[in-house]
Amino acid sequence: MGWRLGIDIGGTFTDVIAVAEDGVTRRSGKAPSRPAEPVRAIIDAIAAVSLTWPEVDEIVHGTTIVTNDIVEERFRPAALVATRGFSDTIEIGRGSRRHLYRLDLPPKAEPLIPASGRFEVRERVGPDGRVIEPLTEAEIERVVDEILAAGLDTVAVCLIHAYANPEHEVRLGKRLREAIPFVSLSHEISPEAREFERMSTTALNAMMMARITRHLALIAERRPEASRLHLIHSASGMAAPELIAERPLMLAMSGPAAGVSASRFATDRLGIDHALTFDMGGTTTDVCLIVDGKAEIALNRELGGRRIRLPMVAVDSVGAGGGSIARLSSGALTVGPQSAGASPGPACYGRGGEAATVADADLLLGYLNPGRTLGKAVTLSPEAAEAAIGRLAAEMGFAIPEAAVGIVRVVHANMARALRRATVERGVDIRDFALIAFGGAGPMHAAEVARLCGIGRIVVPEFSSGFSALGCVDARMSFSRQMTVNVRSTAWDQARLDGMVAAQTSELAGALARAGYPPERLATSHVAGIRYSGQSYETPITDPALGDPAALGAQFDAAHRALYGYATGEPWELVNIRTEVAAPGKAAPAGAAHAPSPAEPAAGPLQEGERLVTYETGERHPTPVYARGSLPAGLRIAGPAIIEDEWSTIVVPPGDVLWRENRDDLFIAVRLPA
Amino acid sequence: MIIDPVSLEVARNALTAIAEEMSMVVMRAARSPLLREAGDHSSALTDAAGFLIAQGQDVPVHLGVLSFTVREFLAVVRPAEMRPGDVWIVNTPEVGGNHLPDVKLIRPVFSGTTLYAFAISLAHWADIGGAAPGSYYAAAVDAWQEGLRIPPVRLVAGEAIDERVMAFILANVRGPEERRGDILAQIAATTVAARRLAELDRRYGAPFLVEAFEAIHARAERQMRAAIAALPDGVYRGEDFMDDDGHGGPPQPIRVTATIAGDEITFDFSDSADAVPGPINTTPFIAGAAAFYVMKALFGPEIQPSAGCYRPLRIVTRPGSILDGGATAPVVGGNHETCQRVADAIFQAFRPFAVERMSAGGPTTAGLLIFGARRDDGSWSTFYEVHCGGEGARADRDGMAATRVHLANVMNTPAEVIESEYPITVEFQRLRRGSGGRGRHAGGDGVCRGYRVQADGVSLTTMFERAVVPPYGLEGGEDGAPFRVRLERSSGETLALAGKANIVVGAGDLVVAESCGGGGYGRSSD
Repeated sequence: MGWRLGIDIGGTFTDVIAVAEDGVTRRSGKAPSRPAEPVRAIIDAIAAVSLTWPEVDEIVHGTTIVTNDIVEERFRPAALVATRGFSDTIEIGRGSRRHLYRLDLPPKAEPLIPASGRFEVRERVGPDGRVIEPLTEAEIERVVDEILAAGLDTVAVCLIHAYANPEHEVRLGKRLREAIPFVSLSHEISPEAREFERMSTTALNAMMMARITRHLALIAERRPEASRLHLIHSASGMAAPELIAERPLMLAMSGPAAGVSASRFATDRLGIDHALTFDMGGTTTDVCLIVDGKAEIALNRELGGRRIRLPMVAVDSVGAGGGSIARLSSGALTVGPQSAGASPGPACYGRGGEAATVADADLLLGYLNPGRTLGKAVTLSPEAAEAAIGRLAAEMGFAIPEAAVGIVRVVHANMARALRRATVERGVDIRDFALIAFGGAGPMHAAEVARLCGIGRIVVPEFSSGFSALGCVDARMSFSRQMTVNVRSTAWDQARLDGMVAAQTSELAGALARAGYPPERLATSHVAGIRYSGQSYETPITDPALGDPAALGAQFDAAHRALYGYATGEPWELVNIRTEVAAPGKAAPAGAAHAPSPAEPAAGPLQEGERLVTYETGERHPTPVYARGSLPAGLRIAGPAIIEDEWSTIVVPPGDVLWRENRDDLFIAVRLPA
Repeated sequence: MIIDPVSLEVARNALTAIAEEMSMVVMRAARSPLLREAGDHSSALTDAAGFLIAQGQDVPVHLGVLSFTVREFLAVVRPAEMRPGDVWIVNTPEVGGNHLPDVKLIRPVFSGTTLYAFAISLAHWADIGGAAPGSYYAAAVDAWQEGLRIPPVRLVAGEAIDERVMAFILANVRGPEERRGDILAQIAATTVAARRLAELDRRYGAPFLVEAFEAIHARAERQMRAAIAALPDGVYRGEDFMDDDGHGGPPQPIRVTATIAGDEITFDFSDSADAVPGPINTTPFIAGAAAFYVMKALFGPEIQPSAGCYRPLRIVTRPGSILDGGATAPVVGGNHETCQRVADAIFQAFRPFAVERMSAGGPTTAGLLIFGARRDDGSWSTFYEVHCGGEGARADRDGMAATRVHLANVMNTPAEVIESEYPITVEFQRLRRGSGGRGRHAGGDGVCRGYRVQADGVSLTTMFERAVVPPYGLEGGEDGAPFRVRLERSSGETLALAGKANIVVGAGDLVVAESCGGGGYGRSSD
């Protein structure tokens, strides 16, 4: 008894990290993923760390079920109930199109709910919450009858201005829930202004309820009574199954959220304030900002062409990874977004892929070990890589090694642009950041990408190749939501504001209390969104002085000046408040953390061999290869050097320096141009 | 020095990143609703001769404009007058422009004492003065009624704002505090660009960057030439019509003669209507933007925006025509209305060999309504709204409902935002069912939105097209339903509103916009 497991079910592999009751003993493992059988994947993952389910106290897992259903358009037929005159909003959307220059592609996604599933009720609430036209009981009965007659078991309700006064939705929802199993109300899911975004979010949530309910039931069937299960949600905390059953859309970004969560614990433990996560996988590279120790949260994102307005880690995905295809296009070498994927995969996988990819370049340049087997699943073929890159090189009029260097230079430029975009959006200076490199290929390319961005410091954290599972095992229980409040500085209403904040806080806390966390142990934090009257983008204010408008105004002016270089002192509006309620960490606090220093290797760094490696400058150097587990603490290794473990490779170019501190975290100091 | 394929892509990424960063700065800090909600702004870098190298946010109509602005600016201001730390401001249509609300800030960028690039930020201000709030004056008969005309003026010298020039501009526009915010945001965008270019200068050296600029132009030129070379040589004619002359007169033709010869193409618009009295004239720069859009959408979506892609295109307009009306002609609506009709005319010209790649006629109009209400302190609150419509059908599928097409892609304003900020209630927003043209594939449906005015003395401006000449069907498909706006007065009187009107509405009045459906494709019986 007593193990706690973090399980991250990825596209190809499921990663698992187990922590024993002592908080110190750790095991890690990998198992092939089984997208069609998520419960089986959990059982395999438990076996991969040589445990059985009854030995496990608690499992925290990240899942791509909801993400995949949305991207692959697997939606349960549902009814939409809207204010009279507004049900077509689900189809009209914001009226803009996705592709500027592609006439052949449909301009928008098909509406989530077809006209036959749209129902309307006579009622109207104003923007100030005043009831303009009451919702009658007869109207409620009529619409419930109509939905039942249509044979639908899933309903989304979105009434105009319900965020300002939810009374009509509450009454309608109460009656609907007596008759229909899966009901989502817009003021519960996303209590903010802008009807299309609220409607789309509520409809998607409703449409995922039946699926998640079944998934949780399947797990419950297999799960020993005493073993608990939690899920990682999009804002990188964990949630109890009961909450997820009502709000399955919280899982939309569950996978990437686990990696961000692990990064946040690592930066916390290492005393790093500002970091960029750099998770390079097969087809994409995920990037997220951590500012002042907090992961950036986005409130409004698209997933598979669908608008979702819920707090989610602000992960940007760049279409460039190990499998990205390089080609010559009108005289420029472009890399991605097309990918060779897992099948056929890069040419060097020897599974029939013929296009030149980033992984093929990595192999020819000497970054990847030709003897590597990636969990015995793949044998690398330098001949196939050379043939693929040879074809491209001939087209470019380049020698093969030059072409391979060209591919990685272009990929690094793509990624540098994405990293810069992430910091620019937030108005912070990228040079103050550390790069947290993980995932299969992140540590291989981190140094050159960092150099291009002016980042001087890289961390390759312990368990870097199963990092997302680590994020699961360390996660805290949390629940966050954003609501529209619309309070103007010129017409401040403290009582109304206090009431709204208290209501939101107690609702969030209630969900955690039901999962067994006493309210007095919960930590509550707020982020206020404030703008000058007339602006549309709010400036986020952390730890806002919600009880003191003068102090809050000063906080806003200071933040605005920091972001944009000016502040005007005009009247402002407190537009929204995001509240997070979190339980304390379950395991020992991450800082004091588990593992003691690993046993110091007896004989110093174990050089496993030497490879001829070509770097981005085109220079070739005989490069020593070290086993990651053999590095003594404190020893500084000057590049060129390569560090390997079973699942990943770290490249240290000439001029850069790598060292290990107490635990298994590796640091790289990147030499920046003067 | 010859730039290799790798350096070209690395440089292109770095330069595009700068233009993107400029756009983000404007988006975040600007004050005009069109900038914030709709993204009606663009940023670009040009070389020392004013040729566009990289664009931040891809707004099709702005690509054309920004490709010409700095070049025309250089015809007015000599490089010897420019200093490091300068930012210039300009909005006159004749200086590589389109209409007065689109204000451009231009910063020359130096390496040492050598001028080698420009950073330019274009933003649509919510007001630039003139006769009507929002600066759309439907009854305009000349350029001066449309607002403040700013020829190239130095606004920032040695990184210090010239407060007298600033005061002069702000004294002539409604909402001076907001406009100041817009200007500061645009200056900040050009400042960021100069800083980033200096970093690239340090890393690669300005001579490399100048070589890279030419390589970027050359690549776009190759892409465009390859696209044209694949088309059958010949002379092709197409036409479409504006609903009226801007003041209610008869429909006005937009005509193009497209001559394809090898890998070059000439678009000659000389046979189009004479300049019209109302504000739907436009500039040759806008005609160029429309031509580029059609080429890219039909034949080369991968073509990178750069001045190089214009090299194989020749744009001919006749001085004194609706597309080249000169400095005195009113133009405010031409930017988005006439511009779209130019694209429609070119599509029609290419029909003989490209009909299977085309979409039938769609909502090629902004469908613009501007409500202006006086606040208690006398200032104006201006609500500017565009309306999407039904996409035209294609050879392989139906058109979709409720979307924007071709050179426009501005989003609508949510009813909940309108009701919170303006004295207007949105009574309904529905699909306009049955408005798409029938055919083997049907056109998409337009939308129908009702605005109940809640205050007296509200000004209403309309600026829409496709009310008289509906979106066309293709290959025997039916036309889409025309655009309609009607006013139901609280007195019970109902009237249809003209496409370009300035009127006053009062409490209880209902304004209903019904946007056009898309044309159908093929006969229904096929």
